[in-house]
Formats: sequence, structure tokens, C-alpha cells
Amino acid sequence: MDGISEHAKRLHFSSIVIDTHDDTTQRFLDAGFDLGARNALGSIDITRMKEGGLGAIFFSIWIPSKIMGPEAVKRALAQIDAVHEQVRKHSSDLMLVTTADGIREARKQGKIAALIGIEGGHMIASDLGVLRRYAALGARYMTLTHSGNAEWADSSTAKPEHNGLSEFGKDVVREMNRLGMIVDVSHVSDKTFADVLEISKAPVFASHSDCRAICDAPRNMTDDMIRALAAKGGVIQINYHIGFLSQEFRNAEKAHPEWDKAIALEVQKRCGDRQGCQLIQGDLVTREYVLRGDLPRVEWTKIIEHIDHAVKIAGIDHVGLGSDFDGANMPFGMEDATKLPQITNALLEKGYSEGDVKKILGENTLRVMAEVEFVSRELNATK
Amino acid sequence: MRLVRVSLIACLLVTGFLLSQVATGDDIADRAKKLHFSTIVLDTHDDTTQRFFSKDFDIGKRNPDGHVDIPRMREGGMNAIFFSIWIDGRIMGPAAVQKALDQIDAVHENVNKYSKDFAFCRTAEEVRRAHAQGKIAALIGVEGGHMIGNDIRVLRMFGDLGVRYMTLTHFYNDEWADSSTAKPEHNGLTDFGKQVVREMNRQGIMVDISHVSDKTFYDALEVSKAPLIASHSSCRALCNHVRDMTDDMIKALAAKGGVIQINYEKSFIDQAYKDAEDKLSGGVVAMIDQLKKECGDNDECMNKKMNEMSEKATAEGKLPHVSWERIIDHIDHVVKLVGADHVGLGSDFDGASMPEGMDDCTHLPRITEALMRKGYSDDDLRKILGGNLLRVMEQNEVVSREMRAAQ
Repeated sequence: MDGISEHAKRLHFSSIVIDTHDDTTQRFLDAGFDLGARNALGSIDITRMKEGGLGAIFFSIWIPSKIMGPEAVKRALAQIDAVHEQVRKHSSDLMLVTTADGIREARKQGKIAALIGIEGGHMIASDLGVLRRYAALGARYMTLTHSGNAEWADSSTAKPEHNGLSEFGKDVVREMNRLGMIVDVSHVSDKTFADVLEISKAPVFASHSDCRAICDAPRNMTDDMIRALAAKGGVIQINYHIGFLSQEFRNAEKAHPEWDKAIALEVQKRCGDRQGCQLIQGDLVTREYVLRGDLPRVEWTKIIEHIDHAVKIAGIDHVGLGSDFDGANMPFGMEDATKLPQITNALLEKGYSEGDVKKILGENTLRVMAEVEFVSRELNATK
Repeated sequence: MRLVRVSLIACLLVTGFLLSQVATGDDIADRAKKLHFSTIVLDTHDDTTQRFFSKDFDIGKRNPDGHVDIPRMREGGMNAIFFSIWIDGRIMGPAAVQKALDQIDAVHENVNKYSKDFAFCRTAEEVRRAHAQGKIAALIGVEGGHMIGNDIRVLRMFGDLGVRYMTLTHFYNDEWADSSTAKPEHNGLTDFGKQVVREMNRQGIMVDISHVSDKTFYDALEVSKAPLIASHSSCRALCNHVRDMTDDMIKALAAKGGVIQINYEKSFIDQAYKDAEDKLSGGVVAMIDQLKKECGDNDECMNKKMNEMSEKATAEGKLPHVSWERIIDHIDHVVKLVGADHVGLGSDFDGASMPEGMDDCTHLPRITEALMRKGYSDDDLRKILGGNLLRVMEQNEVVSREMRAAQ
């Protein structure tokens, strides 16, 4: 770990570092992947999580948003099962938990806390019974949409059809409050976000989003949105995807839509239908375009810029980490989980206090989880 | 307090001694009642789950129809129940998975709603604890392998959601196992079907061989590392129905430590009734197809019509009367065949036509009394009422732990 101060190392490895968004689950479905071994590709495995001091990880359950109805339910179940199976298989290193206390307990036992987030409301097939069973199986947040609209909520990257949340969408948010699931507003349209803030009785979070003031992508949050999120006690978990971090990269991508297609074609050639492989190779092929000068190089320090921006407008209590590892294009210097101590080092160098850094690394997320759990208990008690 | 309890026990012992000396009719009624209401009475098959989807049904209240609700369970001393998850066997794939999840959810929601009366249980130990706390143990069984969508991963998720047995088929074959009431296509269990059985062993989900073909039964018996159950089947020697088990099958099941849970459905327990019904409707599957035309997907309606049909035909003399005492005949047949360790109760309440005198679960104490009159010991009665099933559950739990540890 070159360039990391002793102070930063000590702080980093004594803090609970939480990552709220990792697409590693897709790799579980591909034959031959072993979470226990150090992998040459991708960003996450137990060895590298330990090396990077990552103490809690939300494994993302994800299928493309065009798959809906019962098929979506069955596939989501298969992925939840894959997470459970990996945790069983590596039970000396991992512990499946569902609460803030659970994360602290895993830490005490020297284990990495494994949690589950559902990335896209389309996976409940408009069925609250299914939502409740996901919660029973351990899902602790649900992103209301992915790239396409769900049957009851608009996405930031699709044509609006519901003017935000439909009436049923509001029921979904209320039920999530009752179940103690965090409502995740990453991916959703600005109007959906506003509707959620109005309906939710508990703080909400953005599991993997950046600041639109720095990079004007619809997936990112405006300063006003971040302030409103913070006013309700929520957290924005900064995403490391270069297309969301860097305006320059985004501009270059937009100027050459043919590259996007070429990259997709090459990924298809390398992976076929294997989703986990596609996500990993997407990152690698994009990097090849950067290395030959076609796309701009984005440094990991961009992550710090976004963290710092969110802190400046919303305060230290409302920012965290949501890497999008194994599901996005990583900046140079943040290729995998082993690089995480750099974030601690950079924030200390910027003058952040130890307490402030701990909040960003995980304590803010733990606070939101605890508050969501509290609201759930209250709602169930008054039933 | 302790002193009171000691003298109470002493008193009971003396009473018990005296009663065993002079076993007059009324004494037996009294003793049977005491035993029935102090032990675990476990029913492994109730289709009450379907009623959760009807606006008119509330399990917390006494209902004028059907067989099971909390007040009547209390009155009948039924304190452990397997709620059956069931959808038509012709619905397969992802649609079956989602519908099964909805029903699993409905059981959990109802258990949560009435948490003063119900305790959701996953193990034999939890059932015993619920009983000690005066609660009704609620468990889940999935009635038909078609609901896993041909996917072991879904099976595991059902296990994690509390499912403690799965009937390998319903009336139709599924993708990997033959049913007793359909044309064989897999010669019993396919290789994948065998994998399903092994995975059920690993998860501690009991393998239920009610409904399956004889060949599927023998395949399951060979593959399974844990004892099997027939959650709701009766004896073919007394009523020649494919849904029932032959003496050979019951012996083989028992030799592996399993248990047959006697079904109260009239056409499974009474030969004359079965013969007359076959003539009238062309068999159980044809009858259900006919009802389906009238009721569509409304299972509440299906059950109602089925009972109405049976009652009407009986009143018109087209179907014979069947007494609840046939249940005793079936229990006694199994006990004579393989002993008292391998039989229990799997009523099929809210999913079948009940014999006269067993109109709902309030009549369960009759079973205990009738068996006691036959000379069954208290120990044997406790086994039949629930102990046998709990033993099988525990053995399945041990096998599950061993298989997981060996991984």
C-alpha cells in the first residue's frame, strides 16, 4: 500500500467500512468463480476484501429491467440463493446479516458482513407478498427501479410513464418501511425521488449514485436532491463508475456512441450470455479504449471530489460508499477492493477528522439502517 | 408451587392407576380427553392456506364452514398444523414459483397477525416449545414439486422461508417425478428428481410421498438419506385407491423409519364410497376437472362445491354414508402391520370431503378416545397424535446437519 500513511492505515482498518453496492452476485452464477480465492479479474473476493479492509458488503440482486413478472421473481430467488450458498460455503469468513447490529456483531467475530440489496422493483412483479418474502430471505434494501421503469415507478433513464411513483408504488414504499427495508433511490427519476421522500416514514438512501453538479448524468443527484435526502436523514453512497464520476468521460462517450456499441459487441464475443463475465469484461474493454487514447483516463481521486462535494452541500452525516464494483467501469487506481484505504488516506489529507472519515466509511450507513429498523418496529407496534 | 405440582402428579398417578384397574366406558372418555388435551396433536396436511385469499375467511374467528380456524383448533386440541402450499399441478415454471411464494407469504402474514395464538416453527424442538407456551405450532408444507419451477435453488429458498416438507408431486406429473394419478412419463424419479430428494435431505425438508406413483415412492425411498413421510395418505388394503399405500409400501416406509399420516378423505378410506364415486364422476381427477370448469381458479369455491356435491349425492343415496370410524380402521391397520411408531394424522381438512362425525377439527378428541377404547397405551397414543412425526422431523434435522457438516 504505497503512499498510505500509518495514520490512515490504522484508522481504515479499525473502522467498519461498508460498501452498499456490489454486482459480484452475477459472478456467482457463472461456473468456475470462487469467492474464496484471489481472482485475477473483477474487484471483489474474500482475500481482496480483507486486504482492503472492507467489513460489510451488500450483494446486489439484479436482472435486466425488461424481464418482469414471475420470470423476474424466479431469477431473483436464484440470485438470493446464490448469495446464501456463498455465505454458507465461506462461513468462516462471511456472515449473513440484516441489521446494523448484525454488521457490528460480524465485525466482533472477525467476519465480513454479507447483506442483500435488490436492484430494481421490477423483481417483485407488482406483488407485495413477493417483496415480503425477499425481506424474509434477508434483502435489506430495494432500489425502486433499474434502467427501465418498473410497473409502478419511473426510472431516470427511461421515458416517464407513472409521473414518479404510482399509487401502488407508494404502497410498496410504505410496506418497505414496515418491513425495515431501506428504500433506495439510485436509478429512479427525479420525480420518483421526490415522491419517495414525501411518502417514506424512514430515511432513504442512494445505494450507488454521484453528484450531478460534477457530472451531469441523470443517474446522479442534483445538489437540491442531496440536500432534501439529507434533510430526511438519508445518505448518498458514492458510485465509482467513471461514466458517473467524470463529465469529460461522459462527454467523450456521448460523442462516440459507436464505441459503446463496439464495446458491447466485444463483450458479447468474450462472454456470450454470462452476465458476471459481461460486467467484468465491460470494464476491461473500456479500459483498452482509454489506454489507446480513445476515451479519457479517469483517476480514482474523482471519487474524493464527489465525496467532498456532497459533504460540502449536505454535511458530513450524509455521504457513504457504494462502489458498483464488478458492475461498472472503475477509475484508474480503484481497480478493486484492495485500493479502498486510499480513500481514507485522501480524506485525512484533505483535513477530515477521524470521526468524519469513519462516518463516510460506514457509520452513516449504519445510522440509516438503525433508523429504518426503528421505524419498522414502531410501525409494527402500532399495527 | 412445587409442592402443589408434586401432589398433583401424585394425584394423577393414583387416578391413572385406579383407572387402569377399572376401565369402564366413562373413565376412558375422561382419560382420553385428558391425554388428548395435554399432548401435541399434529396434523400434517391442511389446505386452509387457500382460504387466506378469500375475503370471507378469518382464521382468528369461528367460521360457519370449512374445517379449521383458531377457535376450533383450540376446541379440538389441535395444536400443530402444517399449512399446505398448493396450486394446480398444471401450472409450472416461474408462475408456479410466484404463486407458491404468495401462499408462503399468506401463512406468515396470518401467523404474524395472530401471534398470540400461533408460533411459526421450523423444527421439532420449536413445536415442543410452542406447545409448552400454549401456542399452536404453525408449519409449512409444499404440496407438489411443480412449484419449485424445476430449479433446486428455488427449493432452497422455500426451505429458508420455513418449508418443512415437500410432496414430490400433486395429481399430475411434474418435470421430474410421476404422480399416482397420471400416466407415468419418468419411470418414477428422474436423475434431477433424485437430486431434488438429496437436496431436501441437505436442507432438512422432509420428503413427502403422498400423491406420488408407487415407482416414485420406491425411488425416493432408495435415494433419501432421511426417513420419509406420507403427509396425507391412507391404506390401500382397506380402500383400493392409488392415492393410498399398499401394505408393502407401508412396510418399506416404516423400515426406513418413516410415517404414514392417515388422510380422512372419504374416497381414500372407504371402498364402497370410492367405488360409488368412481361410477358417479369417473374418479378424483375427472371430478376436479369438472369443478374447475365451474370455479375457475377460485380454490375456496372448489372446496365448497366438492363438499356440496358429496353431501347432495349422499343425501340422494347415490353415495354411501361414511363414518369417521373408518379413520380408526386405517390407523389400526397400520399399527397391526408395522407397529405404533409409523402412523400419524394428515386430515386433509379444508381440502377434502370429511366422513360423518369428523366434520371439522373440533371432533379430533374422538380419535384419541376410540383408540384408547381399542386398548392403545398412552405412549402409543401420544406417538400417533404427533410424537411419530416429530421423531421423523428430528431425524431429518440430524441428517441435514450431518450432510452440511460433511460438505
